Amino acid sequence: MDVPDSDFGSDGWGFESLRTHSKSCRANAGADPGCEPNARFHASDRWDRFRYRAFMDVRADLLDVQRSAWDALTRPGTWWTGPQRAELAATALAAMTSACPLPPWTAPSTIAGFLADDLIAPAAAHDAIYRVAAHAATLTETWYEGMRVALTDLAYVELVAIACNVAAVVAFRRAAGFEPWELSPPFDGEPTRTVPPDLVDAEMNWVRVTAPADEKAAVVQAFTSVPAELDRLWTLAAAQYIPNLEMVDPLWTRGTLSRPQTELVAARISQLRECFY
Amino acid sequence: MLSWSSQQSETEIDLAALARGSGDVGLPHAKELLRFATTAARLDDDLTQMNEARQALSAAAGEAMMIDAAAVAANFHMMTRLADGTGARFTPARLEASASTIAIMGTADMVSKR
Repeated sequence: MDVPDSDFGSDGWGFESLRTHSKSCRANAGADPGCEPNARFHASDRWDRFRYRAFMDVRADLLDVQRSAWDALTRPGTWWTGPQRAELAATALAAMTSACPLPPWTAPSTIAGFLADDLIAPAAAHDAIYRVAAHAATLTETWYEGMRVALTDLAYVELVAIACNVAAVVAFRRAAGFEPWELSPPFDGEPTRTVPPDLVDAEMNWVRVTAPADEKAAVVQAFTSVPAELDRLWTLAAAQYIPNLEMVDPLWTRGTLSRPQTELVAARISQLRECFY
Repeated sequence: MLSWSSQQSETEIDLAALARGSGDVGLPHAKELLRFATTAARLDDDLTQMNEARQALSAAAGEAMMIDAAAVAANFHMMTRLADGTGARFTPARLEASASTIAIMGTADMVSKR
């Protein structure tokens, strides 16, 4: 059972948004007129608090894996430290929850005051995660090549994974009506810098993957170069969508959504996110 | 996957209605699910439509189904960023097999087609 952090107690479920929408905007960054880019983002600033009136049951497996993925955002990863991951997660969160994000062709680091002056992660990493978070469907191989040179391909893969984990948790809590989580303070420690021994180029992805390449679907092999993120991704997917072993069963259900109903939601989200894959 | 799962489960669906975001897709609670997914595709803080869509789905299909629909939406916020962030492509064979679905859904001109 998910217990909202804020006020609750009345009968009936649903919530009353206490947010006062602020859509005052600044056009000088190239964003849509009427929209203000986030000068410096703090995760706790993005959403005001909600007042919940009841509890809602959430599967424990789903809550556990999302909590674990969220907590990992501020811990040392494979290529980024805890403070760097926390900072990048905050940038991703700002990008994907903005009603008026910077346009795809405008990198946050080119806007004076948009990013903090005392960044721990490189500005290029913030630019990359902002674009992945807000405008993933616009990415090109040329753009990726620039990021690969600036960050290394394996650090880039982990950066994409950070955006994916933020998106999963934010999207679930928004859609289900739960209060957004705040990022915890970052943990010290060094990244593992683990490099799988069998990395190869792939035809079906820009990024390198573990051998043998292209024998599995592109999304399945995409994170194989960073095993910790690969494990996290598919653990999340099993709880949010369908366990891997059940993928081939068109009648599989948790007892709520039928498989076609599940795919209806999946297809609509993918379509509106303009994801061809 | 929607076409495949509906064929395998012998369920007739209207992909064009899905592509439009309105009309009768042909599944139980499809209207509420489509509205829910449409509003869940955004992540900004304009929650009015999201709240209404959530309440409508819960009223029609129950809270447990709404929670699972939210989880599926979350998964595809995750997977779309994975796919586009890593330059995921289909094989030519898969593209050919999906041609009719791509045509109906109108996705052939997407920038993210590689």
